[in-house]
Order: sequence, then structure tokens, then C-alpha cells
Amino acid sequence: MHRMRVAACLALLAAMAGARPANAGALEEGAERYRPYLIEGVGSALAGARALQERAAAADLPGAKKAWLSARAGWERSEVFTAGFVPELDAQIDAWPNADSGFHAIEAKLFGAGSTDVAADAAALVDHLNDLHGKLRDIRLTSQGLLDGTVRLAYEVGESKADGGESRISGTSLDDMRNNIAGIDFAYHTIFSSALNTVDGKLDEMVSNRIERLQAIVATPDLPHVDIADLRRTSEELVVALQGASAKLGLQRPTLEAQAR
Amino acid sequence: MNSLRLRLTALACGAMAVALLGRAVAFPVDGNKTVLPATTELNEDALDKPREVFRSEITGSKSYLVNLGDLAFNSPGLLGEVARQAGVSCGTCHVNGANNAKFFMPKMSSRPGTFDTTGPLFNPKADNLVLDPVRIPSLRGARYLAPYGADGRFASLRDFVHNVITNEFAGPEPSPATLDAIVAYIQDIDFLPNQDLGPGGRLVGKISESERRGEALFAKPFPHDAAMSCAGCHVPSSGFVDHQQHDVGSGGLFKTPTLRNADFNAPYFHDGRFDNFKQVIDYFDRTFELGLSAQDKLDLVAYLTAVGDGAQPYERDGASATLKEINDFSTVLATAIPAGDKDIVALAVDTIGRELRELTEQYPDRKNTSVSGGEQQRVVARNSLKELVLTLRRIDMAVAAGRNADAATEFRNYRYLMAAAVPAVLASAEPWSLFNQDVHDQHYAALRQVMQSKHLPH
Ligand code: HEC
Ligand code: HEC
Repeated sequence: MHRMRVAACLALLAAMAGARPANAGALEEGAERYRPYLIEGVGSALAGARALQERAAAADLPGAKKAWLSARAGWERSEVFTAGFVPELDAQIDAWPNADSGFHAIEAKLFGAGSTDVAADAAALVDHLNDLHGKLRDIRLTSQGLLDGTVRLAYEVGESKADGGESRISGTSLDDMRNNIAGIDFAYHTIFSSALNTVDGKLDEMVSNRIERLQAIVATPDLPHVDIADLRRTSEELVVALQGASAKLGLQRPTLEAQAR
Repeated sequence: MNSLRLRLTALACGAMAVALLGRAVAFPVDGNKTVLPATTELNEDALDKPREVFRSEITGSKSYLVNLGDLAFNSPGLLGEVARQAGVSCGTCHVNGANNAKFFMPKMSSRPGTFDTTGPLFNPKADNLVLDPVRIPSLRGARYLAPYGADGRFASLRDFVHNVITNEFAGPEPSPATLDAIVAYIQDIDFLPNQDLGPGGRLVGKISESERRGEALFAKPFPHDAAMSCAGCHVPSSGFVDHQQHDVGSGGLFKTPTLRNADFNAPYFHDGRFDNFKQVIDYFDRTFELGLSAQDKLDLVAYLTAVGDGAQPYERDGASATLKEINDFSTVLATAIPAGDKDIVALAVDTIGRELRELTEQYPDRKNTSVSGGEQQRVVARNSLKELVLTLRRIDMAVAAGRNADAATEFRNYRYLMAAAVPAVLASAEPWSLFNQDVHDQHYAALRQVMQSKHLPH
């Protein structure tokens, strides 16, 4: 009984999924164009993590914090990819609240306790990022995976971060949002926009418009000035539009949670 | 729901800084000054919620108007800019129509359960420049309890509510229909039944000796003024009120509060100065020189406790309680979609969507380290709740564009999912959700630890 209902729900959700890729070629070319951006983003996260390791070893707290922020920014810009392709690693690097490794564990020490005693965590972060960075040249980037990541992130951006969000301690949540939206913007315009435009110009316009609006909403001096209700509405409208786009592009309907397909 | 208190305190700090310093940066992005007060609590025992009883449900079901009022009551959009940002609605303070004894907002509260309605946060123009918080009252039985406000400044409930919205919170002028709906909702909130209370407010049934003696003392004239008695003001046959304001030496004229369901209304008095009935009785004994013996006091406390009781005051918060509330809210859409009522659809979609997003957070994602196991169940639960949020958003977009038929189709889909599939999916994920006490405790313990690292000396 129980199982049947669950199955019915899933079947219904799956029924909304789309058909075979129509302009697969164009999309996969787009996904290729995304690669340098990805390598650059993860590369700058890696550079930040290395600087962090070095500054922490020198017991330079302000320098270590600065390096943490720069590593974080590179990581957040790459979330479209990480959420979709390396969810395990993403969960490890972004674990919270009582993370024993990753960004938030280091954040708690640097910004919370004011301590530079992060050598082991920073080394682990560098290892993870280095490992990932090395794989990026050869990893297979599918447009489906990148659309999934884009949609998940677009939904997440609408989550209320008025309490400081995940990065409560460093207070970088607004920056996280900006970097996430920059990542969405880049992925959409590099991979999907022109293909969608040829089949449904209005929908392409709608997606672009929602991304622009999100950018405007987070262009405030601080988190309390972000119009939370507008942010949520716009993020949901963007997801709805992208779900519509998936069918037009012949891709599967993106799932909203990282899971095996 | 999950992090409301944290959000409130965080926002209060942020917004306070803004209110006091103009365009000051409240949440600096350099990350060094994001301050949370040391008193920040993370609503640890929010797993119990006050139970809400509706008059109309005794004989039938709630009307459209009452459901719409309930929806508006729980919508932060109603109360203007600052409240909307903080996610504060009427229901934040009056949880399920009762009082929120844990509510605490730095600089707006003197102690938990109080709030300064003339403070600087929501409406600087209404700020009287002193911290004078009042106790957040329960609204159970409010239809019997005019005049309104601790000082009884409004004879009409409608006028009081209008004042709360436009003056205390500087919210936009509500439509007359919205105001009617909120009033209808409040008037539908009943006292919790108390089987010990008989006709005329007398104790009936299995009554202890002590409670009997307390009842007699309650009606006994005061030794120094035979025209006065407890029952003279708290009239048992009239809901334990007299609809009057009195000066009982507590700092001015205040209306006689009801004693029905008062067991759950602490802190007591307009400013919430007393924690329990014993302190209240000691106060009356001193102020009116009643010469009560220790036994008299025990008897009065026993009596007040019997009168103030109510059946099942709290209910366990879980997915099913939240889904029931959401389903009640959703009935509003059944009327508003065919009518193409854009404003009401937008209100419903925003409010229900917000509740669904908060419900989603009860099922931690894989990044959350305080839960392990049930990963697949949690993914499915989160995924289906997110799909519901998006279905609602499509309804809003369709109605806004005048495509009512599309909206109706989406709504049928939504109702279908809500009828069986979603409750089943949530039930199967419940053991790994924050509705599970152990998971809940672990999660908040971890969060508290993280927050406390903020307060370590640098
Ligand atoms: C931030 C907390 C808070 C919020 C939000 C809030 N209230 Fe209240 N409410 C109070 C306090 C405190 C009082 C007591 C005020 C007084 O005595 O003057 C009160 C009193 C009342 C009363 C009078 C009850 C009585 O018996 O005298 C009513 C009715 C009421 N509120 C309705 C509402 C409605 C409707 C909303 C939303 C539009 C709302 N409140 C929002 C804190 C709040
Ligand atoms: C002259 C009228 C009057 C008399 C007599 C009186 N009360 Fe009250 N009672 C009040 C008022 C007014 C308040 C609210 C005071 C305030 O808010 O500061 C109150 C508050 C209370 C409260 C707190 C309820 C709450 O929710 O805050 C209790 C309990 C109570 N009275 C019990 C008694 C008892 C027992 C007696 C007799 C010993 C008594 N009262 C006599 C008018 C009266």
C-alpha cells in the first residue's frame, strides 16, 4: 500500500519528463564551452585553498580568512557542476553544521574561534580540490547533467538565507548567492540559450529575464536588504521556465535533488 | 519553523542596526561583524505546538472566509516590509492562535513571551522610545474577550487588527475582505474544552477538596473592601472577565484577563512579570492585604489550575500536522482559482510555498552531517515537496496570465499528490527527519555548537 503510493507519486513526476534530445550536437558543444569556465572556477578555489594553507601555517589570521573567502567564491561559482556531477564530493566539501572537514569546518575555526589551527582541514581541502581539478579536462560533461545542476541551484537560491544561511559564521551567504547566480547565468547562456532560442524564443527570453532579475535582487549592500519574497518567487519562476525548456530541448525533466538517474 | 528563532534574532540585530544607523551595513560581507546575541536559542523544543480548536469544526467544517483568514494570519506579506523580510506573521507570535511563550526578539522583548508593540523595529513612527514590551496574549476565545489590547484600548476586534497591521507593523492597508477574513478566523478560535468547568463557570465533576475551598475563596469578599472579590472582576459565568479595565496596582489600567486556559498563558500580567499562579496570588495578597494563609494560597492555586486547564493543550508537530494546515490553506485556492482572483492566489501560493519549503528543511539533505541513513527516503521527500512548491508557482503564473483553466489542471494535480503520495513519501522519511526527537536534538546541538563558536573570546 505504502509502496504503491510512493510509486504512484514517482510515476507521476516521471510522467512529466521529456523525450530524446533534439539538438544534442549543439548542446554538447555548449557543454564543452562550459569546461574552461569550470576549470577556471575550481582552479581559483584551489589557489585560494593553497593560499589558505600557507597563511594558516604562518598564523596569519586575516590573510587566512581572505584566502578562505576567495577559495569559497571559486567553489560557489562552480556549483552548477559540482551539484550535478560530483555530489559526493560536494557533500564532503560543503558539509554542515558539525562538519569535521571542508569549508564550514575551516570557517568555524577561522571566523568563529579566531584560530588558524586548520592545517589538517586545509590540507584535505587542497587534496580534494587538486584531485577534482586534475580530472576536469577529461570528465564527460553532459548537457543533461549541467541542466540538472543549474535547476537545483536555481531552486536553492530561493531558499531563505535571512538567518545567514549555511555560511552563518563568516556571513558570506550573500556572496554565495551572487556567485551561484553568476554560475547559473554563465551555464545557461553558454550551453542552452541559443538552442532554446531557435525552438522557443519567448521561453529563452523568460529564462534570461529571471536570471537578470535574480542578479538585481542580490545587488543589495547586505543580506537584510535582499527582498526574500521576490527572491523566492523569481527563483521558482526560473525553475519552472527551465523545466519547460528541458522538454523543448529534448532533455529529461531535471530532478530537484542530487540523485542517481 | 526550523530556524525561525535564529532568523528572528539575526534579523532583529540586522534590522536594528539599520533602524538606528540609517543605511548601516548590518550583515557585512567581510564576515567579521555578523553578530548573534548570546541569548540566541534555536527553538529546541519546537516539536510541540499549541493545539487549535475551531468553533465551526464542532458542527461542520471551516468556511472559506475562516480559511482565508487563517492563511492571511500566517502570511508575512500582510505586515509590511520588515516583517516580510524577517518572515514574521501574526502566527509567529500567536502560534496556532495561542501565545508564543518562547518568542524573544532582542531589543523588542524584555523576557520570552513579550514584545514591544511600540518599539523601533517594525514602525519607527510608532516608536515611543521606551522599552515597554507586553505579554503576547493567547487569542483563544477572543470573541468573548472585548475590549482588546492589555489596556483594552479597542472595543472592536476589527479595529484592533487594523491597527496592528497598519500602525504597529506599518503594513499596507489591508483590503476590507482580508480584514473580515482575519476577524472571522480569530472569532472561530475556541477555548480548549475543560470538562471540569460546568454551567456558570462552576467546577463540576471530580473536584478535590482544595479546589473547592479555592472556589469559595475566589468568590469571598476582600476583607478591606467587601465590594471586591476575585470573582467580582473575573466573573465565572462570563468567561472569567468583566470587560472592564482596572488598576490593580500593576502600573495603570488594564483589562481583566480571562482565566480560561490560563494554565498555558504564562508569563502573567500585561508585562509578563509573573511566571506562575503562586506569584500572582502572592501579589494580590500583598496588594489588597487579603491575609491569606499558606493553605489559602495553595487552594487558590489549585482552583486557578483547575479553571485554567484545557484538553490536549499541545500537539506533536509532525508532517501530518503541517500537511493538515497546508490542506486547510489550499482550500482557498479551490475558490480563488476559478474566480481568477490574482491577489488571493498569490497570497496562498506564497504562504503555502513558504510552509512547504520549511517542511522540506525537516528532511536534511546529504550535506547535513547530523543525520545518517535514509538517504534515498530523504531525497524522495525533499524532491516531492519541491515539486509541490513548483506546481503552486505554476498555478500563480497561470492565474496571473489569465490562464485559469491551466491553473485548475495544475491544482488537480497538486491535490492528487497531496491526497496520498506526498503523505506516504513523508511518512517513510520521518525516521531520518527533524521530526524525530533524536535527529532533532543532534541537529540543533550541532548548530548550537557552531553558533557558540562565535562567542568564544578571540
Ligand atoms: C511580534 C509579535 C506579534 C505579532 C506579529 C502580532 N501580535 Fe497580536 N499581540 C501581540 C502582543 C504583544 C499583544 C498585546 C498587545 C497589547 O496588549 O497592546 C497582541 C495582542 C493581540 C490581540 C488582542 C488580544 C486581546 O485579547 O486583547 C489581537 C486580537 C491580536 N494581537 C491579533 C493579531 C493579529 C491579527 C496579528 C497579525 C495581523 C498580530 N496580532 C500580530 C504580539 C504580536
Ligand atoms: C479589580 C479587579 C480584579 C480583582 C478583584 C482581581 N483581579 Fe485578577 N486581574 C485583574 C486585572 C486587571 C489583571 C491584569 C493585570 C495586569 O495585566 O497588569 C488580573 C490578572 C490576574 C491573573 C493573571 C492572568 C493573566 O493571564 O495574566 C490571575 C491569575 C488573576 N488575576 C487572578 C486573580 C485572583 C486569584 C484574584 C483574587 C485574589 C484576582 N485576580 C482579583 C483584575 C482583578
